[in-house]
Amino acid sequence: MDNTIKIDHLSHLYDDGSNNPVYALKDVTLTIKDNSYVSIIGHTGSGKSTLVQHINALLKPTTGELSVGDFKIEPKTSNKNLKKFRQHVGMVFQFPEKQLFEETVIKDIMFGPLNYGKSESVAEQLALEAMDLVGLDSKLAEKSPFDLSGGQKRRVAMAGVLAMQPEILILDEPTAGLDPKSHREIMDLIYRMHIDRQMTIILVTHQMDDVVQYSDQVVVMDHGEVVKVGNSTEIFNDPQWLIQHQLALPSNAEFAYRLSQAGYQVPGNLDNIWQLAKAIIEVGEVDHE
Amino acid sequence: MKNIIEVKNISFKYPEQSEIFKDLSFEIKRGEWTAIIGQNGSGKSTIAKLIDGLYQPMSGEIFVDDLLVNEENINKIHKKIGLVFQNPDDQFVGATVEDDVAFGLENQLMSTDEMHTIVEKSLKSVNMWEYRERVPESLSGGQKQRVAIAGIIALAPQIIILDESTSMLDPLGRKDIIDLIYRLKQELNLTVISITHDIDEAALADRIMILNQGQLVEATDPNDMFSNEDKLLELGLDVPYTVKLMDALRQQGLDVPHRYMDEGELVKWITQLK
Repeated sequence: MDNTIKIDHLSHLYDDGSNNPVYALKDVTLTIKDNSYVSIIGHTGSGKSTLVQHINALLKPTTGELSVGDFKIEPKTSNKNLKKFRQHVGMVFQFPEKQLFEETVIKDIMFGPLNYGKSESVAEQLALEAMDLVGLDSKLAEKSPFDLSGGQKRRVAMAGVLAMQPEILILDEPTAGLDPKSHREIMDLIYRMHIDRQMTIILVTHQMDDVVQYSDQVVVMDHGEVVKVGNSTEIFNDPQWLIQHQLALPSNAEFAYRLSQAGYQVPGNLDNIWQLAKAIIEVGEVDHE
Repeated sequence: MKNIIEVKNISFKYPEQSEIFKDLSFEIKRGEWTAIIGQNGSGKSTIAKLIDGLYQPMSGEIFVDDLLVNEENINKIHKKIGLVFQNPDDQFVGATVEDDVAFGLENQLMSTDEMHTIVEKSLKSVNMWEYRERVPESLSGGQKQRVAIAGIIALAPQIIILDESTSMLDPLGRKDIIDLIYRLKQELNLTVISITHDIDEAALADRIMILNQGQLVEATDPNDMFSNEDKLLELGLDVPYTVKLMDALRQQGLDVPHRYMDEGELVKWITQLK
């Protein structure tokens, strides 16, 4: 099945109590290709979370529409039809471990598959596979999720989503609050899901180094609108523009920018630290000749 | 300089779990900025709660400003320490910004006038005075953390403990809070303890302590700490960006000094290559 996500002139309005409807999303048109890795960036309150909640059918558009493959969501779509849709689109919320509630790890992970009508034994099988995927020892299955460390709880929560075998996986700041090692492991895991299982990944993040390292496409949001779409080179080659939109730069671009401010211009594509180091050395040598 | 915190041979465990700390000791000097780093589960946050007297060690003693941390002294200890937690939503108790800051002052036996003066001064010092009538829902995470900090400043503590206080904020919100704490530290002569996963934030400290599985493995200044990057990586921690870049430059044949440089210093050093 082709899971291309098409968002067409989608707006979402809410009433803030003052009788002046506010645009949380304004006329968003965007295509996310099947099996792509997309990062959505923007400062706090720019509409990133509202946008992904539409892709997960947690919110319906006020105007416009959104489709994933053959499935379409419009303002008039009935809520009854949304459940089946959500099965294809898994969502890992920010600090997902806050939603753990069962007595054991395995029960918590089985909850999703059971909820979507899988039998007890199938659900258990899916849960064990998901535990393996996220790197949780099967010995932890009968433990209470509340006795685990922060990093392990996060994995349990992710396993709960993966056990539903989504084709599209949305993650809202999946590594917030984790130590650097867990951060790398979770990001590697997500990338593996993308490569090995052809999952479309939609990552909402403030961590620009991850955006550069992993994504094929970057969507920049500001004030509820999509203000720029491109690959990471296209997005990050204009530091001034990013600063204007209250966005941080990836470490390499940030450092190159500081060098240029100090009169040391480093040209070229600076996607990784090796390229930057090489460029720094070359600039130094050229000027000596 | 005098020690403001002394942790002496403490052990601690949570009910039905294995021991986190066994015979842990360290000191923190008055007026210093100390960063505590370590993996999830290393005991970082538990330390903060022990120092503040929220938990009691099974054995050993903790002194805060020469006062033994125990039930008898708990109110005095709480007055000396302000804790800023990770989630801005968990610490907002008032209906409005102003109420929230006033809340902590309400059992301090002071006149309404005096209270208003302190609330105003505290909110102004975190640049949130113009938001005083706002409700928490209308504030960003960073703004909520500023209000939490104002509530702490209002109580005139000597020590501020940041328990991953910036980890839920976006990069600009993060920088903003750190700059604010840095300024308040100077103005109010505070001792700051920041528990963090952000190595670039830790690099700003006077001293960095690494906890690993309840053990203090190292406590030294950033220069020293970052000259041994293998150790940090072995412990599952990160090194500052400049250390990685200096490494990359070295590996491509450039003779880079073997000492820690922050961004400003490294930029300066590179510009002299021309």
